[in-house]
Amino acid sequence: MSGHPPAGDARTAAHPTHRYRRYLLLWVDLLVLSWRRAPVLTAMQFVIPAGMAATVVGGALALRVAVDAMIRGDVGSAVAGAAGAGVAGAAGIVLGALDSHTAGILIGKVAVLDLNPRIHRDITTLDGLEHLERTDVADRLTLVRNAGWEIVLSLWSANGVLFAVLELTVMLLLLGTVNPWLLWLLAFAAVPLWFDQRGNNAIIRADLATAEPFRRQRHLFDLATDPAGGKEIRVAGAGAAVARRQAAAWDEAMRVRFRAHLVAAGWRTAGWLLFTAGFGAALALVVYQAARGTGSAGDLVLAVTVAAALRQSVHTGVRYTTNVAAAGRVIEPYLWLRDYVRAERERADGSAPAPQRLRHGITFEGVGYHYPGATGPALAEVSVHLPAGAVVALVGEYGSGKTTLVKLLGKMYRPDSGRILVDGVPLDEVATRPWRARISATFQDFGRFPTRFGENVGLGDLPRIEDRGRITAAVREVDATGLVDRLPDGLDTELDAAFGGVDLSEGQWQKTALARAAMRPAPLLFLLDEPTASLDAPSEQEIFDRQMERSRRAAARTHAVTVIVSHRFSTVTGADLILTLHRGRLVEVGTHQELLAVPGGRYATLYRIQAEAYAREGRRAAALPDGPGPDGAEPGSHVPGD
Amino acid sequence: MALLTDVRLLAGALRAARTPLTAALALLLVLGALLPPASAVAMAHLVGRIQTAVPTDAPLSVMALPLLAFVLVLLLGHVVDTVAAPLAFLATARVDGAHRARVAGLAAAGTTIAPLEDPQVRALIRASRADPENWTEHTPGAGAVAGLRLAASLIGVAGACLVLARYAGWLVPALLLPALVNGVIRQREAATGIATWRAGTVDGARNQRWQHAATSPAEGKDIRVYDLGDWLTARIQRHALAMDAPVWASLTRAMPREAGQLLLVGVPLVAGYAVVAAGAAGAGADRVVAATAVLASSVAIFQALGWSEDLRVAVSAAGCLRATVDLADRLPAPAQHAPAPTADPDSTGTARHGTAPANGVDGTARAGQPVRRAGPALVRFEQVSFRYPGIGRPVLDRLDLEIRPGELLAVVGLNGAGKSTLIKLLAGLYEPDEGRITADGVDVATLGATAWRRRLAIVFQDFVRYHLPARDNVVLGRGDLPPDPAALAAAATDAGLAPVLERLPAGWDTPLARTATGGVDLSGGQWQQVVLARAHYAVRMGADLLVLDEPTAHLDVRTEFEVFHRLAANRGGASVVLISHRLSTVRQADRIVLLDGGRITESGDHDELIALGGRYADLFAIQARRFAADAQAAPPGEPPEGPPADPPAGSATRTAPGPAAAGVPTGGGHG
Repeated sequence: MSGHPPAGDARTAAHPTHRYRRYLLLWVDLLVLSWRRAPVLTAMQFVIPAGMAATVVGGALALRVAVDAMIRGDVGSAVAGAAGAGVAGAAGIVLGALDSHTAGILIGKVAVLDLNPRIHRDITTLDGLEHLERTDVADRLTLVRNAGWEIVLSLWSANGVLFAVLELTVMLLLLGTVNPWLLWLLAFAAVPLWFDQRGNNAIIRADLATAEPFRRQRHLFDLATDPAGGKEIRVAGAGAAVARRQAAAWDEAMRVRFRAHLVAAGWRTAGWLLFTAGFGAALALVVYQAARGTGSAGDLVLAVTVAAALRQSVHTGVRYTTNVAAAGRVIEPYLWLRDYVRAERERADGSAPAPQRLRHGITFEGVGYHYPGATGPALAEVSVHLPAGAVVALVGEYGSGKTTLVKLLGKMYRPDSGRILVDGVPLDEVATRPWRARISATFQDFGRFPTRFGENVGLGDLPRIEDRGRITAAVREVDATGLVDRLPDGLDTELDAAFGGVDLSEGQWQKTALARAAMRPAPLLFLLDEPTASLDAPSEQEIFDRQMERSRRAAARTHAVTVIVSHRFSTVTGADLILTLHRGRLVEVGTHQELLAVPGGRYATLYRIQAEAYAREGRRAAALPDGPGPDGAEPGSHVPGD
Repeated sequence: MALLTDVRLLAGALRAARTPLTAALALLLVLGALLPPASAVAMAHLVGRIQTAVPTDAPLSVMALPLLAFVLVLLLGHVVDTVAAPLAFLATARVDGAHRARVAGLAAAGTTIAPLEDPQVRALIRASRADPENWTEHTPGAGAVAGLRLAASLIGVAGACLVLARYAGWLVPALLLPALVNGVIRQREAATGIATWRAGTVDGARNQRWQHAATSPAEGKDIRVYDLGDWLTARIQRHALAMDAPVWASLTRAMPREAGQLLLVGVPLVAGYAVVAAGAAGAGADRVVAATAVLASSVAIFQALGWSEDLRVAVSAAGCLRATVDLADRLPAPAQHAPAPTADPDSTGTARHGTAPANGVDGTARAGQPVRRAGPALVRFEQVSFRYPGIGRPVLDRLDLEIRPGELLAVVGLNGAGKSTLIKLLAGLYEPDEGRITADGVDVATLGATAWRRRLAIVFQDFVRYHLPARDNVVLGRGDLPPDPAALAAAATDAGLAPVLERLPAGWDTPLARTATGGVDLSGGQWQQVVLARAHYAVRMGADLLVLDEPTAHLDVRTEFEVFHRLAANRGGASVVLISHRLSTVRQADRIVLLDGGRITESGDHDELIALGGRYADLFAIQARRFAADAQAAPPGEPPEGPPADPPAGSATRTAPGPAAAGVPTGGGHG
């Protein structure tokens, strides 16, 4: 069974031509999406730029007619030409405004209604958890999660580049009608375009190179303005030191960026100098023709008008090119996410239904798991049978693999080796959603959703998220009725402090998460990973007593299995089966009494530390017995090992 | 008037760009705005020369000078444009840098944190932080430069009007008036549009929060177990739509009006052009020259006064500055009763390192070296009451508490009993509603926050994880004194940080964030060690009251033991206040107090409180029950011995008898 899906590096993955092909395919995809979402607005993205190009060309032509007619004294043509120029000018202004409005609506609609939901659904409905836990991947997700707008914009920026080039070409062809020699200006127009682009690249590079100090100043600013960070910063008198570092990081980023802007200005000036030299020569030619009578003063007006518009077109073209280049920042991770999701979904989900009730139990057969990028395995060769109806406790030091084992049961990861059997059926072959629908779980780092208390609980059973009776019962189940009574708006109390909500303490959040886990009516599997670390003794006691009742009740009905991770032995000893893990390996299995009887056993040692601490007379407790120290090898820990 | 306020705010923001830069930029922008009419005139003159040259067969040289002039004007236009860009960037960077320093300074000012927790203040900080999250937000720097550009374009309009006047005076009002009317309408459109976006910022921010939840590994597990993916996607979209749908509607409504411009702009333009052309046709060279100049420059008047991105940016940025003004009104001004302020409020790396008192924090203390004191103070809470705004029940209710010099005091209580609040009051982060807190008899409020806090080292539950080098993460435990390498090394030893440091690729210089070059992410346990080192550093730098708020909640048994013993051994003479639910740890304290119903109801050492048979005894019995239950069953393992932690023994006295002992459970398993 293959362990990890491809997570190739998005930055180096694609060869340039391959990349352009991928971009092109993406844009075609987005164009189809836009057309389906808003055909009129989509069509306007082509009609309006074409119209704008026409007003520029038409205006120049009309001016030529007007000036020539004025000189000739032809009132009719002069008036017609001038009026034409006026219409073109006004139309240019109106089309410019409409362009911005229609693009704003279209891009927003496609991003909010189509692309963003697609991205969010991909991120949140992938079965596994690895894409959220690996920091390298998490960076990409952070970029892509709000990128819909920028990605759709890139399509219309590319379109804008196309039209800018088209406009440039038409204008130069127009000059060619005055004198074919002027077609040479095409070459001169390419110079500022190219130099501008170089300058812009310097700016983009500087932006990337200074992303780090920029992020740092943002981080420090957020710390200083947040009440949580504000507490510690005040007590430690670190305000000035933090402010100094914030300002220094800002200055560092801006110094480099300013230098890049100077370089860009240098390129641009050089480009326009060359262009103006060429254009000056062209004008001299036009003036010469006009003075010799082979051309007209109107030709000159045409040439000059075109020259002014030319700069605008070059600017527009460069700006759109920059947008496209900058969008690569989000397009690359987006394409990566699409591939990743496709690869993940192709690893066929199981189709076996989740059992109604457990008959036999859950069996680990040589299960191993290795976090991508970690130095050693998190779990190795774990073989054990968790009998149907049993309450199983996991014990071990920090980083011994307890949480990993719990997550494997929730299908958050797939084992790298071995397999997990549910009543003899490999867990991989059981369909994920129905399996999870029978799980009640509280994790160590549980979710804190930025919404009302009631909803935070009700999320534990979506169909009944509005069922206040059920929510109240779940709250009662975990001894949190007192907590709700003290909340200013009861179940409707907002919990996001940033929006006027109540700031819950760690322990209160823990009760909220426990209540959420109590929502589902008939779980087949209870997973409790350090569910009470921040709770006071009576709450902890109460919650465990009730959990035991729930577990036993469920065990009687469906032979449900309960898996509890805890550092507190007062909660472990009542389990039917205790598993002691050490550095990813299962070292002891048995009941409390059996494990205590193991001479020099790990469980017995850990247990006695605590027992001594409680049992001895007087307030001086036992010191630390000898033994191997704890070692951390958990996800997210990327400190290089030795 | 709103417009004037906006102009004033934007102009005020420009001060941070400093005069020479602003002047240079303004000059370039004005020049750039005047060049189009100038080039129209230059072109018209060329036309005039051609007109007169063709019939007279004049030498080509008469054309050379005007041609050269025209090319130079054209070139100048390009150069001005390109040179203005980096100056505009620099001005934007300076204004935004100063603005962000100011907002951070405002938030950091004030000794208490109560204002920062006010939802309205938080909303204002969001609105004024100048860190655009979406396309509706613009920074003060961008707004100030856009404003400058708008002002320059008005001067360009004046230049264009001069060109009109040369042809005929009546042309000026005929074109300028409709352009002005159109300009006012466009400005109001922009303001309405921005008001519509503004109305959606709360939903925008909520949308961001949910997006964060969607990608967070913590929420990710719940999302998977409870199958929340589709629900969450819909929730994100709901907030996005609440923010964006009104904007789409307003843009859609605006479109016919935009098309209506065709009348306001087109009619005067077409009519004016037609009249000018008719009047100039065949009317002599001067007339034609003037008319040509008019035809070439008038559209620019409408462009300058019409819709522009600059207008939108300026109006949006002015909104950010207004929020900053409101924020400043709501937050206490920095250093009210400070002596001569020695701190540079917008220090940009030039501040005398460490010699300045904390920025914004009440600066009554003399700056300088760690203060040597005789010993830790006797700290007393005297009849202290406190309630959170909007919550009826007081958290602390006429509470009395002593923290005796050098003692290891444990504070115990149920969840929500107010333990953390007690710590915040101790640190002056909240002010008591009633009563006072004294150190050696002196009200700490009169000591000044800086002086008092130099004596404190606090490990909060939600401690700060600076994305800075490991060294900074420790020395910022005492940020207002110059970093002391000796204290740093000692603190690392005290906290047992060596194993963590050894694994950092660049040792102390390793940034503790993977997003930084050469940086690493630490695990939760490793962070906890770093933060303990931070607290030890503060102690080494003169703090003599160390407070730990649940420092070991997620540590395993063995690590918890190590941490506690290390702490007890290495605290020097400092007093220690420990908050914990683990009574096996708490029992080792010199004295234990129980916080219940907003008051201290029990006080004494472990044995005394057990003997008292009160609430503490209850709590302890609950946790100890299991162990007591199988004390007999367990084989007689050798009780591990070792050097006991050795805090100076305090003479504990029972200050408040607890409630009557209520049926203390005595062993016996349950369930």
